[in-house]
Amino acid sequence: MTTTADLSLSYEAAPTFSTPLRFFLTAPLFGALAGVVLLFVPDLLGSRWTPGALALTHLIAVGFMLNIMFGALFQILPVVAGAAIPNARIVAGIVHVGLATGVASLTWGLGAGSPPFLNAAVVLLGITFGVFLVAAGYGLRRTPIAQATPRDLRFALLGFGIAATLGMALAMILSGGLSLPLATVVKLHVGWAWLGGSGLLLAATSWVVVPMFQITPNYPARLTRYWALLTCAALVAWSAAVLAGFSLLEFILAIALAALSGAFAITTLRLQTRSRRSVPDNTTRAFQLAMSCMIAGLLCIVAAHRFDHDVWPVLAGILILHGGFVTAIVGMLYKIVPFLAWLHLSQAGMKAPNMKKLQPDGPIRKHLIAHAVALAVLLIAALSGSTLVVRTAGVLVMLEFGLLFANLMRVLGAYRIARSA
Amino acid sequence: MKQVIDARGLEPPQPFELVMEAIADLRPGEGVKLLLDRMPYPLFRILDRDRYRYESRVRDDGVVEIDIVAP
Repeated sequence: MTTTADLSLSYEAAPTFSTPLRFFLTAPLFGALAGVVLLFVPDLLGSRWTPGALALTHLIAVGFMLNIMFGALFQILPVVAGAAIPNARIVAGIVHVGLATGVASLTWGLGAGSPPFLNAAVVLLGITFGVFLVAAGYGLRRTPIAQATPRDLRFALLGFGIAATLGMALAMILSGGLSLPLATVVKLHVGWAWLGGSGLLLAATSWVVVPMFQITPNYPARLTRYWALLTCAALVAWSAAVLAGFSLLEFILAIALAALSGAFAITTLRLQTRSRRSVPDNTTRAFQLAMSCMIAGLLCIVAAHRFDHDVWPVLAGILILHGGFVTAIVGMLYKIVPFLAWLHLSQAGMKAPNMKKLQPDGPIRKHLIAHAVALAVLLIAALSGSTLVVRTAGVLVMLEFGLLFANLMRVLGAYRIARSA
Repeated sequence: MKQVIDARGLEPPQPFELVMEAIADLRPGEGVKLLLDRMPYPLFRILDRDRYRYESRVRDDGVVEIDIVAP
């Protein structure tokens, strides 16, 4: 039997409700901006390399996903891992402003091909990542390395650090300040951002959040023990193969990484079939869509290696980013935000309303339907290349992120009413 | 005999609500045992604030046991 002693110091500095919420409320605005880009630059889905596609990808990956991931980490580290970020309010302020201005500068720099904006993004995002990673690493220093979630959160932070460094190098290559092989650095940046940062964070969070909120059995111990270790090892080996130019080894390791991602997605889907809920709730539905999209996206990546056509990487990007990560993140948000509102009210000694009153099911369902329709239209847009369909997808993307913002504001409104009662 | 609250397999915040109800009825020196699937860090904060004594253990089967004693 293991005894856990004196934990009080580690959660003394648990963040206020506003600390994660400021990130959660900013993220949908960048998502909606992605819809605006689709509406006004409808030829961007022709290839993953168009300036519009690069801007769009970063609005979703950094503007939406990273905003929520960083915001969630301010909460997850103390609540799930018992690791508090020191001076969380000040750190959150710096990271929030740095991320928002950095991603705005980055997407404008990529979309318009503007070196000054790219250079500004390097500085802003460099400071942001530096501050966040040092603070989060400091918070995690005393957490037990033997537990899967704190250990995998460390790996994810390391992965984000590598992805961000490669991203900054890319911005400097594009602005003419650095001379490195562009295609190689892009490949490494995508691999580390997708799996080394986002994938590891999604998995580390899922180990806890899926059984907790979806009432499933725990993930198999062998998976939680080895998945992140194997994924990191395969990523390092794949990176070495990319740098050395061993294309066959690179392909084999890419397949291994796809298989690891697939194993995570399939295990999550199988766990959900064993949930103690008789009817799947909105979050379970969101995760089912997310994991199915991840698997479909992985198949598109394999197809992209086999068939030299621009549409496969674009489909993979839409399926993995919008269908996979955005859907899973939204599913988690709809559990985490009302729970935090409830928790902060309870901790303040107030009578907290029922979770369903803080976040009713109906508006969530409407948002998830809008999200699924936007995803389907985006895929049709990539396949058809029709300007009209791309513009329609843009309007739907604006709508879905608008609904998400409205739903999060609804929780905040209910929280404020309960606080003032 | 000490009251045992088995809150395993319940969706948050139900375990939290159950334990808060149980400890509200305790007289000074009385205790409850709480069984959970994971370490409830937010609960510890409230127990500290309200001066409850508690001890947490992770059993070999992964179940988290917390003994709470009223001040």
